[in-house]
Amino acid sequence: MEAYNPKVVCFSCNFGWGYLNNEETLGATILNWIPVACSGKIDTHHILKAFKAGADGVLILGCPEGHCHFQDGNYQTRKKVCLIQKVLGAFGIEPERLDMEMAIDPEGKKIPQLIARMKNDLAKLGPVKRI
Amino acid sequence: MAEKPKIAIYGLGACAGCDQAIIDLNEVMLQVADAVDIVLWPLAMDFKYSRIQAMQDGEIALSILSGSVRNADHQKMAELLRKKSKIVLAMGACACFGGVSGLANFCGKEDIFNWVYRNAPTVINPTGCFPQPETDLNGYKLTLPEFFEHVFTLDQVIDVDYYLPGCPPPPELIGNAIVATLAGDLPPKGSALAPRKALCDTCPRNLRKPNRMEIRSFRRIHEVEADPDECFLAAGIICLGPATRSGCGETCIRINVPCRGCFGPVPGVMESAPKFLSTLSSLLVVERDDEIKEAIDSIDDPVGYLYRFSQPSSILGQKIAKKGLEN
Amino acid sequence: MTAKTITIDPVTRLEGHGKIEIFLNDHGDVEDAFWQVSELRGFERFCLGRPAEEMTRIAPNICGICPSAHHMAASKALDDLYDVEPTPTAILIRQLEFNAFYIEDHYIHFFFLAAPDFVAGPDADPAERNILGVIHKLGKDIGARIIDVRRKNREIIKLVFSKAPHPEGGLPGGVSRGITSEERKWIKEIADDSVAFAQFAMDMFKDLVLHNPKNLDLMLNDAYRLKTCYMSLVDENDKVSFYDGMVKVIDPDGAEILRFAPRDYIEHIGEWVELWTYIKMCHLKKIGWKGLVEGQGTSLYRVAPLARLNVASGMATPLAQKEYEQMFETLGGKPAHHTLAMHWARLICALQAAEHNQMIASDPLLTSKDIRNMNLHLKHIGVGCVEAPRGTLFHHYETDDRGLLTKVNLIVATQNNAAPISLSIKKAAKEFIRQGDIREGLLNRIEMALRAYDPCLSCATHALPGQMPMMVNIRNTDGQVIHTLGRT
Repeated sequence: MEAYNPKVVCFSCNFGWGYLNNEETLGATILNWIPVACSGKIDTHHILKAFKAGADGVLILGCPEGHCHFQDGNYQTRKKVCLIQKVLGAFGIEPERLDMEMAIDPEGKKIPQLIARMKNDLAKLGPVKRI
Repeated sequence: MAEKPKIAIYGLGACAGCDQAIIDLNEVMLQVADAVDIVLWPLAMDFKYSRIQAMQDGEIALSILSGSVRNADHQKMAELLRKKSKIVLAMGACACFGGVSGLANFCGKEDIFNWVYRNAPTVINPTGCFPQPETDLNGYKLTLPEFFEHVFTLDQVIDVDYYLPGCPPPPELIGNAIVATLAGDLPPKGSALAPRKALCDTCPRNLRKPNRMEIRSFRRIHEVEADPDECFLAAGIICLGPATRSGCGETCIRINVPCRGCFGPVPGVMESAPKFLSTLSSLLVVERDDEIKEAIDSIDDPVGYLYRFSQPSSILGQKIAKKGLEN
Repeated sequence: MTAKTITIDPVTRLEGHGKIEIFLNDHGDVEDAFWQVSELRGFERFCLGRPAEEMTRIAPNICGICPSAHHMAASKALDDLYDVEPTPTAILIRQLEFNAFYIEDHYIHFFFLAAPDFVAGPDADPAERNILGVIHKLGKDIGARIIDVRRKNREIIKLVFSKAPHPEGGLPGGVSRGITSEERKWIKEIADDSVAFAQFAMDMFKDLVLHNPKNLDLMLNDAYRLKTCYMSLVDENDKVSFYDGMVKVIDPDGAEILRFAPRDYIEHIGEWVELWTYIKMCHLKKIGWKGLVEGQGTSLYRVAPLARLNVASGMATPLAQKEYEQMFETLGGKPAHHTLAMHWARLICALQAAEHNQMIASDPLLTSKDIRNMNLHLKHIGVGCVEAPRGTLFHHYETDDRGLLTKVNLIVATQNNAAPISLSIKKAAKEFIRQGDIREGLLNRIEMALRAYDPCLSCATHALPGQMPMMVNIRNTDGQVIHTLGRT
């Protein structure tokens, strides 16, 4: 049997994550990575659709508190993530499968690391037991 | 004289509330009964399944189907009526989005059976048995249909032409839908035959809504004496108005209880739950991480509000039924 | 044997939502008959985790025919759960709505389902046995009156609880909306009109049944008699009560055997599980499950209109009381076991509901603004009980400290009647099907036994539509279907 290799979809904010790096070079090395103009652009249905499409986890990378280029997009998404976490359980998706990190990483070097860390945690959870 | 157009009215996994809403057309119903030939309406009149089967494909001008699809019988009937009808109208929240019974998708069939037939406090079941698809009783064979593990919306089983949401839809909209269909005066296929606005846009409380709404904590309807003129959300009471289609006549709002979303999403939106979830989180005015958690924890059972009528049609809850039971 | 020549109807592939199976022996006589309910939705489970107060908005969806009964039982379960007494005005408003619901519900049953059998006759062409046939026969004016009284009473439901199918707004300790003085006038007119209509319907019933020897004979026929215990709510004067009261049970001879507060229902009501139907069979725990048997010693009881009149020592209103007396005089005393007399009892209950609404409409407290008692104390367990049109209805909720549901148990009206319905059908089948003679009119007579109960299957399984079970399968000794009576 093939070993369980969790799939993580990562949304990250262009203004805080990897903006000094070339998006294409970075993108070539990271699977299912979706850079967006602001973490506030990520809507609830994007996250739910990622799970629907088969993601085992969704990771959102936003700017630190008070550093949003668009006033408070990161803060709006932070609240949204907390609320979605509360809803996912009913569909058999553990809340830890959705995570948000608020920091700055101009080179984007931490992106693969954070994804790897999440995959590691997800491996312990196993595949999503969908209802 | 030209033949009268044929109409079929049928409830699948339904509660008959939609049939009652049709009866609530009152005198208009009698006029409709004069103008058309009702070939099927089990609640009100006798009929034979074989009569429908013997019809030409597309012979029925309009089939009004209510209810969700929960077992093979429902699916078979839906498929038969689809075949025989020019236009299929999904009527009511159950047919359109899955309805309240769709909440059953949050718990398994086994769990339901265990409670209903074994663990409920009034059950007397010394052998711990469950009803069986087939039973031999003193030599008599009795059968029961098995039901699906999942509750489906009508359009997950057959092709649906138009939708008429609501739990149940009000008689005015039902009347309009029937008249529009018979007159051929219809919007593009797939449309809901209901207003295009959001409930908030037609809500009488909108006048007093604050310009900038801020929610710090949530309250439940039994905990407060709601002001009959104040916006529920502004008072921290969950109301699905912003993400729900208008057309109900704001009947719940007018008796001072908040909206639960039976009319489903506004046009252009696939599903109202994610929209409402985004709305709700953006209205929350709390600062630190722990405060966010605390405020969100104060929403008891968000799932029960967000998916009250729509679990089977939701992004995460939807499934497509196997086709073609009819043959 | 002639019966064998009847081909298997393809209708059998379609089960509908409930069915009757009749087995014949080699002589073509009925050996056994079963009433099966074929669906289940599981409300008791998927409500778990929901806030208890949402039950007044979720439970009505169990059934679109009698949503008001579930709404009211839920409201009362919440009163009990939060240990709160609704204000006098709130109780009046709830009773007003509940009576209005009784009126429209009883009449939709009588005119849509029952009357066709009596107006057109049990042997009439099935195409004539429907409401349009009734209106055609009785005239358009009467049709208009039927529609009018139903509409007006449903307007009352809408006024206080939002919508007629699926009322909303019941809250622990009260209601969400009060009534104004202008509305009172309008309500009074509707109540007066409803009393007049109730008397008209009563006269019509007497014309159709009492003054028609054929129909009277049918009602008094032994095929439609079933000796069971009876259960109903009664008020403090032992009179018929819809909204509230004690649960009283009598044995087949009329002796009181139980009187208990609704919250003790678990001690007294058992639900027996059978392999061949999704519906559970209610019986009295005290006597224990004895199977599908009638007569002295049976643990089966019946609910619904006739049960109410059998159990109570009278009606709560004067005009209804007169009718009650006449009914038992005609039927030869109490308790009356004539299943078809349920129609009569149903009309008497509708009359009481209309008379009661006249009184409520004149009550000065009706228009008070004191519609809610906010003094709530969550006590984690609550039982609500009403006498629904189709019989005694129990809602039992348990919650955690936040008032989120951890346990839900429902005993619904038609479920109480499940075993007796099966028995009634068997009895009627044995009487009417002889030597393989299965003419439609005879089969309809069997259906009439079922129809009298006004069974609401949506409720019964917390499940399907409130439609009559539409399939009757008649099988020979090999179990082959030799005839199907299908309305789907």
